[in-house]
Amino acid sequence: MTAVAVPLGGFAVVEWLKKQRWWLTRVLALPVHLFFFSVGVFFLVRMIPGDPVAVLTGGQNVSAEKIQQIRESLGLSGGLLSQFGNYLRDIVSLDFGDSMMNGLSVWGELSQRLPETVELAVIAMVISSALTLVMGLTAVLKPKSLLARILVPYARTAGAVPDFVLGVLAIFVFYTTFHLLPAPSGLADPTMTAAPRVTGFPLLDALFAGDTALFGSICAHLILPVAVLVIANTPLLLKIFLRALEESIDAPPTAFRIASGASRKTVLLSVARRAAPSAVAMLGTLFGFMLGGVVVVEQLFAMPGMGLYGVNAVNTSDRPALQGFLILVAAISLLVFLLVDLINMVLDPRRRPGLAKEGS
Amino acid sequence: MTATISMSKEKLTAPKRKVSLRRILATAWSWAPVYPVAVVFLIAVIGPWIVPLSPIDVAGPTNQSPGGAFHFGTDSTGLDVFSRTIAAARNDILIATLTSAIATTAGILLGLLIGMNESRRGLLGWVARFLVRVLDLLQAVPAVVIALALVAVVGTSVISLTVAMAIILTPNQARMVRTEVLKVRTDAYIDAARMAGERGFALTLRHVLPNASWPALENASLVFGAAILITATLGFLGVGLHPPTPEWGSMISTGASDAAVGRWWSFVFPAIALVIAVASFAMAGQRLFKRRAG
Repeated sequence: MTAVAVPLGGFAVVEWLKKQRWWLTRVLALPVHLFFFSVGVFFLVRMIPGDPVAVLTGGQNVSAEKIQQIRESLGLSGGLLSQFGNYLRDIVSLDFGDSMMNGLSVWGELSQRLPETVELAVIAMVISSALTLVMGLTAVLKPKSLLARILVPYARTAGAVPDFVLGVLAIFVFYTTFHLLPAPSGLADPTMTAAPRVTGFPLLDALFAGDTALFGSICAHLILPVAVLVIANTPLLLKIFLRALEESIDAPPTAFRIASGASRKTVLLSVARRAAPSAVAMLGTLFGFMLGGVVVVEQLFAMPGMGLYGVNAVNTSDRPALQGFLILVAAISLLVFLLVDLINMVLDPRRRPGLAKEGS
Repeated sequence: MTATISMSKEKLTAPKRKVSLRRILATAWSWAPVYPVAVVFLIAVIGPWIVPLSPIDVAGPTNQSPGGAFHFGTDSTGLDVFSRTIAAARNDILIATLTSAIATTAGILLGLLIGMNESRRGLLGWVARFLVRVLDLLQAVPAVVIALALVAVVGTSVISLTVAMAIILTPNQARMVRTEVLKVRTDAYIDAARMAGERGFALTLRHVLPNASWPALENASLVFGAAILITATLGFLGVGLHPPTPEWGSMISTGASDAAVGRWWSFVFPAIALVIAVASFAMAGQRLFKRRAG
């Protein structure tokens, strides 16, 4: 009895694995991709010109012992191979070393700053995708309306006006000229004390603390950065979405529905269903745009997020800080793309690997 | 109706096209979207010679408003905004031109290499599949972040910025060519060439290259725009070409603090120049690759 059950059990597991291969391979690919990226970062950071030890000692003569100690703290002691081994071990345990500039733990600072950046990017992303959905559908369903006539050329201008130009313009108009919004100086009014850290997300923390004045101030400080991100990136998104919708409308299934006498609602639902995978894929791209835009916006509005940290790291050739920043950004981006991929494969099983071969 | 009939008769009887002022004007008008690019290029070439004042030396009192000797005013260090805006064209356009040339060429070659070898066994196949992953990875991370990492290493001269921009913008070009190569490979004329005895490298060069490289060429004007924008973004973030080298991004960055206290001119003019440069290339690209049928 048991002699039969064991191979059968093994067989069932293999079968199950084969069936789940489409998502398992993607999930397993994430650490592999991250590994390759880390290899790239490892060599990139070591190619930065200048001697980090000289920077840390300030050019003074110090004992060989001290130099050795500094090299060790920077992960530069020993051969390249052992450096690489230590580097990988440190990354896995989320130990990116200490910043060369202020001596603080890189991971400590990054994890402190991450929520603020994510909050900004996610708020902008939600607004941007909602706007795209509404505008795209209007433009396609009522192609002769005034809105559609404005929207289509707007989508064409995609990306001609960069985010930092929009940002400076917004500050000039809404802060300098009309004094409608607060100065571009950080997360909230500098005279207010920050809410106790619960989640790390400034808005949520203010809400939990029940501090409505602080909450309002944070909201007011978020309006311009979010608006800049949304206005700069929505046309790019709208362009992709309009194309997806048009393709879906022109596809044979639409003609079939109409020919077989389906109601307008059914036809539209069918169109929307077939455009959904492209729309989801678009969200991944959008998140990438937002993450890039956040780097600029944080600099412009002096918001203490991850982007500002990265820019400062480059400006000061702060190797450990740059290393940590790059790997964290890559990890977040890859994670978002993985999620988008998986959702898409659920929505459209034809995209699952392994099945494509049987079809064609 | 009669007009169209008479026109078609005219075509049948007289294949030679009449040269008329109207036709010349029509042709000139149809090429209008390309003219702004010509102007931008002209300014980039002759800009530094026609500026009235030195773009890198203090030209007068600080914070002069536009008008008089300073057409666009002076910034907070007393540099002439007009001269700098004009002179900056050369740096930005040079980087963008070199980048779109390098990224397009490299993208076409990489796309061919990957597309033709991807499904192969052996070393080349592995290399091609590995390259696909590398390109995907480079595209997954925001361009600005990759740019930040690269300038930390290569530094900030015109040449090193070009190298960085080329590394960032090549993957997209390569991916577009690769997709087209995969389509073209299955076309009948490729089979015909194979049967005629052509193989490997010659086949790729003679039949696949001319038929599969158009997506990258069409996209070159957008690469141009992207290169200007990323260069300017780096300048704005303070990690691009260093002041006082004239560059629109770093000018906008200095102008930003001026604009915050109401002196709009040192921000507005370089910003307008930047937007015009990017938009004119996108427009020209659309015109040059307009489908005959459409």
